Amino acid sequence: MNGSEIFGAWVAVFLTLGIFSYLYKDNPFYKIAEHVFVGVSAGYWMSMFFWTQIQPNLFGRLWPTPDGAIAGFFMKIWYGIYNLFGFILPSVFPDGGIDKGHGNHPHFLYIIPFVLGIMMLLSVSSKFSWMARLGIAYTVGMAAGLRAYAFLNSNVLGQIKGTAVSFVDMPFFSLTGVSVFNNLIILVGTITGLLYFYFSKEHKGNFGKVTRVGIYFLMISFGASFGFAVMGRISLLIGRFTDLITYGSSTYNYASLWVLLLMIGLLAVWTFKGNKEVAS
Amino acid sequence: MFMKRQLPIAIAAIIGFITLFGWFVSEPNIKSFVDDDATQWFDILASFAIFLGALNLLKLQAMKVMKQQKGWPYAALAIAGFLFSFSAGFILLGSYNVEISQYNDPAKVATVLASEINLDEKSTENILMAMPEGDTYTIETPYFTKNGAEDVVEKINAAGGTANMRATEWGSHISTRGSLFNWMFRFIFTPLSATMFALLAFFVASASYRAFKIRNFEATLLLVSGIIIMLGRVPIGGNISAWFIMYIVVLSIGAGVNTWFKNRTITLATVGGGILLVTIAGFITGWPIDQPGIFYLPVLQDWIYNNPNVAGARAIMIGIGLGIFATSIRYILGIEKSYIGE
Amino acid sequence: MEKFLDFIVRAGSLDRRYIFVVIALVVLLPLFFPLGLPIRPTIASQKVYDVVEELNAGDKALVSFEYGPSTKPEIHPMAVALLRHLFEKDVKVYITCLWPDGQFMAMEALEQVAEDQYNKVYGEDYVLLGFRPGNEAVIKGLVSNLRKVFTVDANGNFLDDIPMMTGINQVADFDYLFSASAGYPGTVEWVQYAADPVGITMSTGTTSIQVNEVMPYVQSGQIKGILGGMPGAAEYESLIGQAGIGTSGMDAQSVAHVVIVAFIIFGNISFFVERRRSKKY
Repeated sequence: MNGSEIFGAWVAVFLTLGIFSYLYKDNPFYKIAEHVFVGVSAGYWMSMFFWTQIQPNLFGRLWPTPDGAIAGFFMKIWYGIYNLFGFILPSVFPDGGIDKGHGNHPHFLYIIPFVLGIMMLLSVSSKFSWMARLGIAYTVGMAAGLRAYAFLNSNVLGQIKGTAVSFVDMPFFSLTGVSVFNNLIILVGTITGLLYFYFSKEHKGNFGKVTRVGIYFLMISFGASFGFAVMGRISLLIGRFTDLITYGSSTYNYASLWVLLLMIGLLAVWTFKGNKEVAS
Repeated sequence: MFMKRQLPIAIAAIIGFITLFGWFVSEPNIKSFVDDDATQWFDILASFAIFLGALNLLKLQAMKVMKQQKGWPYAALAIAGFLFSFSAGFILLGSYNVEISQYNDPAKVATVLASEINLDEKSTENILMAMPEGDTYTIETPYFTKNGAEDVVEKINAAGGTANMRATEWGSHISTRGSLFNWMFRFIFTPLSATMFALLAFFVASASYRAFKIRNFEATLLLVSGIIIMLGRVPIGGNISAWFIMYIVVLSIGAGVNTWFKNRTITLATVGGGILLVTIAGFITGWPIDQPGIFYLPVLQDWIYNNPNVAGARAIMIGIGLGIFATSIRYILGIEKSYIGE
Repeated sequence: MEKFLDFIVRAGSLDRRYIFVVIALVVLLPLFFPLGLPIRPTIASQKVYDVVEELNAGDKALVSFEYGPSTKPEIHPMAVALLRHLFEKDVKVYITCLWPDGQFMAMEALEQVAEDQYNKVYGEDYVLLGFRPGNEAVIKGLVSNLRKVFTVDANGNFLDDIPMMTGINQVADFDYLFSASAGYPGTVEWVQYAADPVGITMSTGTTSIQVNEVMPYVQSGQIKGILGGMPGAAEYESLIGQAGIGTSGMDAQSVAHVVIVAFIIFGNISFFVERRRSKKY
């Protein structure tokens, strides 16, 4: 175990317990952890998105390593711009172009997303806030085009197909497999559940009775969702405790134990002081 | 005005239409643009959007610090956190490997190497000796700083070995084990994001204690299905006998009969008869823990999970599916304009 | 009796911090003192196992990591168990990630399973293509032309130099697809943009919370089997006969569930007593 790992474990334990300390009440430890989280996440996300997409798939296409010497006036200017960037940020723009397997010629079509992207960034200033709209419009339009078909195909048609199942060649009832009864349950449940979402007609009379059945199915489903929500959260807690136990071992100099004691001590002192102030 | 209003709506409409169209045509040029380049552009813009989000967040925190608003020291801490992770991403490479290609005296090189890889000298020497001729040995964990790596290189060279330093390529440093960026992910980002989510376990538990009340039949259904899933899906559910559940069912029926008829004799008769019936059946069959299946929690929960639950979930899925389809078409037709703030 | 009922009513409005302590204890204690309860696979988990079992040596599986530290305890054990099963059967594994965190999760799982346990060769038996931003647009791109989305793998190697990438140009070139997913983008998008249009056999592992969102796909056969949360992972571990993190968490999970059910029941008893009293006065 090297030094940076042991130090890392102490940091991790501090941050973990800092967040858990919120269960007692809002306190400086929690606030520290929360704000570190916000800041670090921002830098982390930027780095990840940059190095996995913007650098290889945008810059790699705009300024690929050229085949031999750069010839022609326009190309010289184009790679001149690149060299200027390289002067500012050599880690991103290494000498001679970016070789990410996009061939040797610039894909000039990709100037469009580049410009839209830069306009997005400029919108940080409230004066240019409208500039982000073009890029956002592109993503919105594309997402709409993709989703209109995908949701209709998989979530509507696919589900209708799944509900319209046959009732032949299967037992009437089975707990563990396909059966006529189970298929009926799904058919009735889906249709009545859907009718419940139909608000253009008042839920009264016979229609009301049908939608009532629909609610029952939805409630069973919500109940299951609740059960799953509990299950998931408990699993996450188990994961956190497992990590704390690991970091509490002698390999990490009992980090969990020491930090826990320190935090409880300080919280106790603060609470005590706070109570005194209130009393006086 | 054109740039601020008409153009965005036109872009969304045209791109939306082409993308939707792309699902149905097989014209190679359109198909190749829609499926390959247009999606790439989307990916690129999505990345810029993340940058924009991060910058906005930073702006917010910076304003807080500059105006010295309440809690500004914490905002400063957030900025410090950002500067650290940004540096680990773009400025400090934080990943320098040391490679040993030759050594004259393995024992001597091992004295230097042992402390670097946390092994005793004898095992280190064995590792070096076992290496085939011409292979290089790379110290597994990279060094965060160039100087740190160069120091080790010098020490090994002084001990008669030939070592050299190799800096990880920019861009690969984020996915290099042991790099500074990786350290940040493991020891700062991981505990924070994981604990934030785990915290909810406590609130879910307290909510189920305080807020989950049986007020009507719907709530009862919800609660019963939740409890069956909770118990049936974990190993302990398999240890609860079907007969125990049957007794509970009898008692519940008794409670129902009591509220319905409000007559003690009928209630007692129902409960007593039910218990007697279940007990006799138990003695006859020999109390098998998982029979009858419908009362055995793991089987029961699987049935609920795969049937009535799916029916409800599917109704919701179809409803949402239709909703998203309609909204998407509204975007493409330019009726929905929330993205330009209208 | 009156005093007892008083106690029940008062316990109903207990300071929630006592509940927090109880939850912490019931999760923590079983981790130190395991009970070793037996694990029983559900139908949907068994289905995943059966589908993987049908793959042959040399078949190509695309495994996508869409989760991060926030849901690691739920999904990581199943990702590890699935990789074990795939490597056990000598299936070639290709890894993509739709979440940035997924890349780190994949690295960790590969180190543990591919390197330390099965001694697989990078580039011949498995490859980490890595993360690409863009959610469903990435899947759409992979379905059409993988080589436009990925020209290099996560370590910066050119795809053309990686032996096992020969002949892999789109999702249809794979024999099996598994999405280890914690939300958007994830299972739903893989079904919509890959499994349904291409017709590739797909299974999934999701967080418990996401299970209900995905279940209709499983019932209709759009997805072949689902592993739900940490218990789903434990079930898969028991199916492949290699106990892991999922199994070791199941005792704590069981006890915590029982305690929460007890909470609900007690909370309702308190509610009834209180309601009856308020009706009386």
